[in-house]
Amino acid sequence: MHMADALLSPIVGGAMCAVSAGALAYSAAKIKKDELCEKKLPIMAISGAFVFAAQMINFTIPGTGSSGHIGGGILLAAMLGGFPALLTISAVLIIQCLFFADGGLLALCCNIFNMGVIPCLFIYPLIFKPLTKKGFNAKNISLAAVIGVVVALQLGAFGVVLETLASGITQLPFGAFLLAMQPIHLAIGVVEGIVTAAVLCFVYKMRPEILNSTRSRTAISSGVNMRKIIVSLAVITVLVGGGLSLFASAYPDGLEWSMEKVAGTTELEASGEVHETAEKAQEATAFMPDYDFKDANGSGTSVAGIVGVCITFALAGGAGLIISKLKKKNKS
Amino acid sequence: MADMRAKMSELYSLEQLSSQKSSIHALHPLSKIIATLTYIICVVSLDGYSFSQLAPFVFYPVIVIALADIPYSMIWRRALVALPFCAFAGLSNVIFVRETAFYIGSLPVSFGAISFFTIIFRTLLCVSAVLILVAVTPFAQLTAQLRRMHVPQMLISVFEMTYRYIGTLVNEAYSMSTAYKLRAGDKKGVQMKDMGSFAGQLLLRSFDRAERVYAAMKCRGYAMRDALLKPLPLKKNDYIFTAAVCLSCVLFRAVDVQQMLTDVLGRMM
Repeated sequence: MHMADALLSPIVGGAMCAVSAGALAYSAAKIKKDELCEKKLPIMAISGAFVFAAQMINFTIPGTGSSGHIGGGILLAAMLGGFPALLTISAVLIIQCLFFADGGLLALCCNIFNMGVIPCLFIYPLIFKPLTKKGFNAKNISLAAVIGVVVALQLGAFGVVLETLASGITQLPFGAFLLAMQPIHLAIGVVEGIVTAAVLCFVYKMRPEILNSTRSRTAISSGVNMRKIIVSLAVITVLVGGGLSLFASAYPDGLEWSMEKVAGTTELEASGEVHETAEKAQEATAFMPDYDFKDANGSGTSVAGIVGVCITFALAGGAGLIISKLKKKNKS
Repeated sequence: MADMRAKMSELYSLEQLSSQKSSIHALHPLSKIIATLTYIICVVSLDGYSFSQLAPFVFYPVIVIALADIPYSMIWRRALVALPFCAFAGLSNVIFVRETAFYIGSLPVSFGAISFFTIIFRTLLCVSAVLILVAVTPFAQLTAQLRRMHVPQMLISVFEMTYRYIGTLVNEAYSMSTAYKLRAGDKKGVQMKDMGSFAGQLLLRSFDRAERVYAAMKCRGYAMRDALLKPLPLKKNDYIFTAAVCLSCVLFRAVDVQQMLTDVLGRMM
């Protein structure tokens, strides 16, 4: 479910960055007010590392022979509370992004939103906590965990679909993309929910105070804050997304361009004098000329294009090679 | 389960690289962060069909990798993680966008195919930019710089400690799963019915351990705010590097250098 930079437009990335950064800053400020914040730090860090390690333990799903692994948002939120869980899952996502190339740097904030903000700030207080309101027992922990994880994953997957399509890099139709993402994540969600439930039940049996203290502490203030969070997140999204797209619409790519394209523009087939004039005008006004193969009418230009790209690659490769050789020479 | 240790060594192998010495390693972390971000934003702000305009962007990773002595295999292996989903999204373009863009001889090349290659290429460029940043910036320098940039203290501390704890925890998980495997006969992986107590046990044991480790850290003077955090002034080289990378990225983004080369070649042919 990790989104990559390659499928993201800067507008969507920027808007999501503003939202996730806002949510993170708010969470960090919230935790700071908690006097136990320092004591929580090692627990948060070890839980993050646990999610990481748990993802490496493959477990077999009965009857199928295939294997799954643990996710983490709801599990962390149940043990740490929503705000600390968001910071923890973000730390895990940052590590995955920086050291494993799992999810891009620009896409990091999308990933933090889909896999952190949704389960920790929305699903946990709105689904998990109400379901375990009457106190914990194995049955309602399991129910809350399974439902929470399934809903969180569904929303997360839906977020991926929306963010990817809004970026307009892939031409997947909305319906097809949705059909590909949601059922897979339903299956993953059920399995992950069961495992999350099993772990939480075990933790509750051995150390009930961990779950109880989290619930009692966060219960006091959450009602009012939720509304504030949702409203401010929405405002940030609109402001940044709107601002960026105003800037971006000065030149015809990104969101607007892709929307035009999905809507079925004739631009692709256009040729002849009108097209050339239009393109010249576009090139003159635009920040950069639009995509390059469009005006490739004869095979001559296209071959020249391919040869040109090869030359660029060869030059880059040559530069790299020469630098490496020179460095080795200097060393020896 | 052997892949557990492999994955861990993969995690820390980048850190080993970052402790090497080279002109790139010596640069200020801020200038590397700015350069990486500018590069990625310029790359992704090009639309999904600009394969040829993306081509000049290959200079940055190639030159920096050569200057910093990063093995290419390191980048390739990690890029493979990001590729499947991107390839899936790219393939859909091959299916849905079928207008012919041009012919190579008699072979038609569709816009979808162009966009497929563009997406794969973008993935490789973005992934290598991020990995280069981590491979040439020591972890402590990176977090210190994030602190200077006023990223929430708590987030950085959790990030740092999670990164350090992973090693401990993976070792623990590794010995637990080895013990499990030895008792489980020829079963593959942990059975789902045991997963709750297996993972739960790992978690509770780690909780206690984390508290002990943290107490030990506090005894040795660890505070959330890095007491030794001093302002690190930018040097001449840092300015030159940042300016060179940012300006060339913006240039390649604004002016289609590749198209100019194509035009020249087209006239010659």
